[in-house]
Amino acid sequence: MANNYLNSESKQLATWYFTFAAILFGAQLLFGLVAAIQYVMPGFLYGILDFSIARILHINALVVWMVFAMFGAVYWLLPDETGIETIGIKVGKLLFWIFAAAIVVVVLVYLFIQVGPADETTIWFITEGREYIEAPRWADWGIVVVALGFVANLFLTGIKGRQTGIVTVLMADMIAFAGLYLAGMFFTDNISIDQYWWWWVIHLWVEATWEVYVGAIAAYGLITMIGAHRKVVEMWLWIEVAMLFGSGILGLGHHYFWIGTPEYWWEIGALFSALEPLPLVAMFIHVLYDWGKTQGAEEEKGSTVSVVNNKPAFTWFVLNAFGNFLGAGIWGFFHTLPQVNLYTHGTQFTSAHGHLAFFGAYATILIGMMYIAVQGTNGIKIMKHTKASIWGVSMIVSGVVGMTVALTIAGYVQVLVSRAQMGATWAGYFDGQSGLWFTQAMDWRLIMGAVTFIGFIFLAKDLLTTGKNPVHEK
Amino acid sequence: MFEPFTDVVPSFFGWLNQGPLTLTIFLHTVIILPMIWIYFQEKKRLENEE
Amino acid sequence: MAKKSVWSDNRFWQRSATWVTGFASILLIWLTFDTSAQIAMGNDQDLKDGVTKRVPGPTVINYKITYEMDAKRGHEVPVIGEKEKFFGRDDYSEEEAGALLHLGKLGSQAKNCMDCHTLLGNGAYYAPDLTKSWLDPAWGPDGAMQALTGKNTKEEAIAEFLQHPDQYPTHARMMPDLGITAEEAKGLVAFLKHMSSIDTNGFPRNFGRMQGAVNGK
Repeated sequence: MANNYLNSESKQLATWYFTFAAILFGAQLLFGLVAAIQYVMPGFLYGILDFSIARILHINALVVWMVFAMFGAVYWLLPDETGIETIGIKVGKLLFWIFAAAIVVVVLVYLFIQVGPADETTIWFITEGREYIEAPRWADWGIVVVALGFVANLFLTGIKGRQTGIVTVLMADMIAFAGLYLAGMFFTDNISIDQYWWWWVIHLWVEATWEVYVGAIAAYGLITMIGAHRKVVEMWLWIEVAMLFGSGILGLGHHYFWIGTPEYWWEIGALFSALEPLPLVAMFIHVLYDWGKTQGAEEEKGSTVSVVNNKPAFTWFVLNAFGNFLGAGIWGFFHTLPQVNLYTHGTQFTSAHGHLAFFGAYATILIGMMYIAVQGTNGIKIMKHTKASIWGVSMIVSGVVGMTVALTIAGYVQVLVSRAQMGATWAGYFDGQSGLWFTQAMDWRLIMGAVTFIGFIFLAKDLLTTGKNPVHEK
Repeated sequence: MFEPFTDVVPSFFGWLNQGPLTLTIFLHTVIILPMIWIYFQEKKRLENEE
Repeated sequence: MAKKSVWSDNRFWQRSATWVTGFASILLIWLTFDTSAQIAMGNDQDLKDGVTKRVPGPTVINYKITYEMDAKRGHEVPVIGEKEKFFGRDDYSEEEAGALLHLGKLGSQAKNCMDCHTLLGNGAYYAPDLTKSWLDPAWGPDGAMQALTGKNTKEEAIAEFLQHPDQYPTHARMMPDLGITAEEAKGLVAFLKHMSSIDTNGFPRNFGRMQGAVNGK
């Protein structure tokens, strides 16, 4: 991706992160397809690449591509925000290669070794077997080192350069993000304590620190893409931080209903997490309001030109506003109250929510950042949609929404038949899984998964080629 | 209106949990109330600036 | 004079955000101390004295466990009853039972159980929830699994299944052979039995209580 337009090494490093993230995104979808096929045809790759392995790769690739793209986005925006080149960029580049190499080794071990004997060596070198953070312990330490290096770069640059509200929020947020990973790096025989701390990593990432990160990136995007007023954008950002952390930190309690923890978590988890959609509504209004306001001001001046200087990126940012609210907010609220969660916990409901929330809240805005990087890398003034970008966004969005609807229906069957009617036993579980609505929903999930994957191919093609497309205004 | 405590082990938070809402209302209140103090402090600052 | 409103002042929101975040974090840490004490594992003496712990000690494998409605709490809770043989013994010491549980918990992670099953409701949804699987009637004297595996006790049937899951298919979706040894299987069964004794606030509801009611009949 060498070219003449990038005058910042930080931005160049960002493009590395984005490239690797996009490759992992493809891997995530591919292994997701394998797992989806196995629901429909259980014999597919049985004994070779079992569901558990496909799923580990599906969700680990998800987490890692997002972390890569998140690091990349920070390296991209730091020079713009602070006004100086990122400090420690050499270390940053070295850490990128260490991180990428470690990921490749971890993936190869998942693929070809898969499981180990029940002892500590497996935990250290093959898998920790804890959903989302299966990465073996050696890789955990590698991730900690890489994350610390990243946070150090961010802090050194943030302290020396101009400290905007966005940089301040990112600094506070990223150190919490890195620090929380430590909560998932120990072994205990007590599964209640195990899951108690496991949720510190998972929940406090995706329902607190990652959401605040998205708030900061959305703020940056609004300033760079439509020229929104910094003071207004940063005020919204602080309100969002207050609401996100105010509801999200104790909202952690909605994972403590049934894992052996005391009953008072019912109340804490229910009420705090019920407020979690509020900041997402705020973010939604914020993006659309600022867009309308800036465009309106432009039109008052008699201009009919769009204020958006990067159409595909802005499309993804607006989708983020919708998707975050719908996927994380609505689909999360569906089953967050303990009265409901008693029956929906551990069913395809969670899976439906997970698909739309990860996509809506994170994938969208990170893809948007990739487009911003393509624009900057190629020195484009006004970036337009191409056929591929429109096909990509339409197919990915309809695919993910389709999967979500299918999984929600499957979740209903599971809740009604397996849980409410049959009392959650082994036999009850398979009665639910054999129901017509369930099996049909799984067929639709596979079809929609394939649609998503084709959309991804369009997206990848567009990201690789659109920079040289003459439709854009240089 | 108030339900007797039903948790296994008595604790401060369990004691606050007297039936639906009591614990959450308490926690929300202690989180939000100090913002009033921040509000008046900032109001004073803004007035002084002008 | 145009008075500036506090509500549109960045500093007010920045300070509010800092306060809310900081205080919520402190509350969470406090709650964590409180909860950690409550979910710490009990010991053998607790079991002998009939002291209820949310997470009993490993020697709970020496006892019979049932899941019964608690009228006061309004949901089912695990009840630890009289002694019950586990692989022919009901006198496991704390060290022996602890070692079995340790092996089983390690095994549950080393074999990626959570990426098909759910444990305490968390994990993947490709296979049944294991929270109370020890109490599942399918493994009991009237269930199909003892006859299928040719074993006379619940623990032996589960252990046999875990070692050769591909030989005992119960559904088109089969558990793969994960190379689980006899010793590991024993540990895993101890882990499952222990997990069923954890007080999960009534999750899963009505476990094993409804049988034969298929498709509304």
